[in-house]
Amino acid sequence: MTGPEPLLRRAVPPAASAVHGSGPAWVPTRALGRAVLLTGLLLVLGVALGRVDLVLLAAPFAIGAAVHLRRMPRAAPELLVGADEELLVEGGQVQASVTVTNPDVIPYDLVVVRTRTSRWLKLEHADRPFALTVAADGWAAVDLSGDALRWGRQDVGPAAARVAACGGLLACRPVLTPAHGVRVYPVTDPFNAIEAMPAAAGLVGAHRSRRMGEGGELAGVRPFAPGDRLRRIDWRVSLRTRDLHVASTLSDRDAEVLLLLDVLGEVGLSGGVTGSASVLDTTVRAAAAIAEHYLQRGDRVSLLEYGASARRLRPATGRRQYLTVLEWLLDVRPDPVEQDHDFGVHHVSSDALVMMLTPLIDPRSADLLALLARAGRFVVAVDTLPAGAAPDVRGPWTPLATRLWHLERGNVLGRLREHGVPVVEWAGAGSLDLVLRDVSRLASAPRGR
Amino acid sequence: MLGLITRRFGNVRRTLTRATVLPFLVRCAIAVSGLVAMAVAWPFALFGTQYFVPLAAVALYPAFAPRGRAATFAALTVIAGWLVDTAFQDTRVTLWRVLVIATALYLGHSLTALAAMLPYDSIVNIDVVGLWVARALAVILVSAVLTVFALGLSAELAGGPFLVATVVGLAGAAAATLLIARLMRRP
Repeated sequence: MTGPEPLLRRAVPPAASAVHGSGPAWVPTRALGRAVLLTGLLLVLGVALGRVDLVLLAAPFAIGAAVHLRRMPRAAPELLVGADEELLVEGGQVQASVTVTNPDVIPYDLVVVRTRTSRWLKLEHADRPFALTVAADGWAAVDLSGDALRWGRQDVGPAAARVAACGGLLACRPVLTPAHGVRVYPVTDPFNAIEAMPAAAGLVGAHRSRRMGEGGELAGVRPFAPGDRLRRIDWRVSLRTRDLHVASTLSDRDAEVLLLLDVLGEVGLSGGVTGSASVLDTTVRAAAAIAEHYLQRGDRVSLLEYGASARRLRPATGRRQYLTVLEWLLDVRPDPVEQDHDFGVHHVSSDALVMMLTPLIDPRSADLLALLARAGRFVVAVDTLPAGAAPDVRGPWTPLATRLWHLERGNVLGRLREHGVPVVEWAGAGSLDLVLRDVSRLASAPRGR
Repeated sequence: MLGLITRRFGNVRRTLTRATVLPFLVRCAIAVSGLVAMAVAWPFALFGTQYFVPLAAVALYPAFAPRGRAATFAALTVIAGWLVDTAFQDTRVTLWRVLVIATALYLGHSLTALAAMLPYDSIVNIDVVGLWVARALAVILVSAVLTVFALGLSAELAGGPFLVATVVGLAGAAAATLLIARLMRRP
């Protein structure tokens, strides 16, 4: 759903003309041919006609060529694209540079540097060529600074440089350098879910489990048994019943959260961090926020793509996992599946809370949610479809078709809820509390539907 | 047809809006050099008449298309005009005309070499153009000294300009041969 690209000339020459091709790196320019032609012609005419003035007209060309060509370059210039490697979030400042190095003993009279950048990096003057000089055995850099508008691996480059030396009489074949990827991490809406996890399953953690153990949540009072700690004795009950009783608690355990990302397609036009959000924008930002929240609470978070390649990130906990999640999210792309294929519910742990971030456009997404729910997984669907999303109007029937599609989608959502899959629109902080409470309640019920 | 014109017009407008100052000044200097060389080389009677219009167009064209052969053609036209004026119309060779034509020809040639590499919309460091023009002016200065000295010498010598032209021309040819041989040896 992108608009037509403006007609622009190619910023970087085609790869076939790169210095890696055959032939010498430095070639004579048309100016050298012109100087030799005029010098020769004027000298011949001067001698033939006996005209010293014609010879003198040739003098600047001959002197210029002799002076400029007394030393000639031998090595090809080197080009390098770089960018700062600090943690960069959408909307942050990018500092990139293109450096031209001159390994020769003569200066470069003119270096023209062109570079392409990702459309999501708004770098100052990046769409223009830069002309500069480079001293002998030195280097010069073009600084490109600006804003990163969208998450992802945004390219600075490829860059190309053409170099002229010897007063423009010799030129280097274009030197190309590959793009440098700048990692732009997604902004995370502040997210906070206070509800209990449906299935806390690990050994330690912050959630109260449904099993007895060492924890803070009171489960009940029971008679003292060998092995109980003395500090657990409930003296009030013991005095009343004249028998030792202890307070039993529910153990605190961690849980696994599986973020299932529907990447079957992209809907909506992304406007970057300040503009409208597409489905993948919402998916990535919400996933980052949810992962950050649960990882901070000590839970294990794993990620899985519902797409052709079915990328997966293994469950882990802690800050390192959070950074890995952010890195993993940078590579989220639309990954459509052409044929029906078995996703495999067995990939999803039976104790994990599955949060599927999906626009619920492809019927296979709804099928998968129903399948997971039927298989006894704790599933929450987070609707990532942008508000007011509609296809382009292509004819008089488009509005009606869109309305029908919305009705049908509403039907699908209703049927999912009937299957016990809560569907909630992503709205940042607290948007999942209500549904998590429902899922917890469902989880406390006996299984075996 | 209308679409083609509209597209061309749009391209021209985009070029004008994107153009930057220094590349534009370089092209202006090429145009001025060409016009000066053409006006001085051809007979003065042509200047201001309708016959000068095609000559002016030839002189100006390298400013618009510096990458092609237009600069070579313009230089050859200047030389042709100089020969027409001095050989067929018997106009006297004067020092200032030789100096002006040589200066304008070389300056136009050098700046065309720069403009051929310099995109019209580039952001140019001032030292690029400054150093380029300084090198061209240094060459012009040395040539001018040589011109003054050689023309003075030809007036002094009894043998006349033919001998001087032969000697200087042969010396120049030998230097050009050495230069080309050196270029051929280049790895």
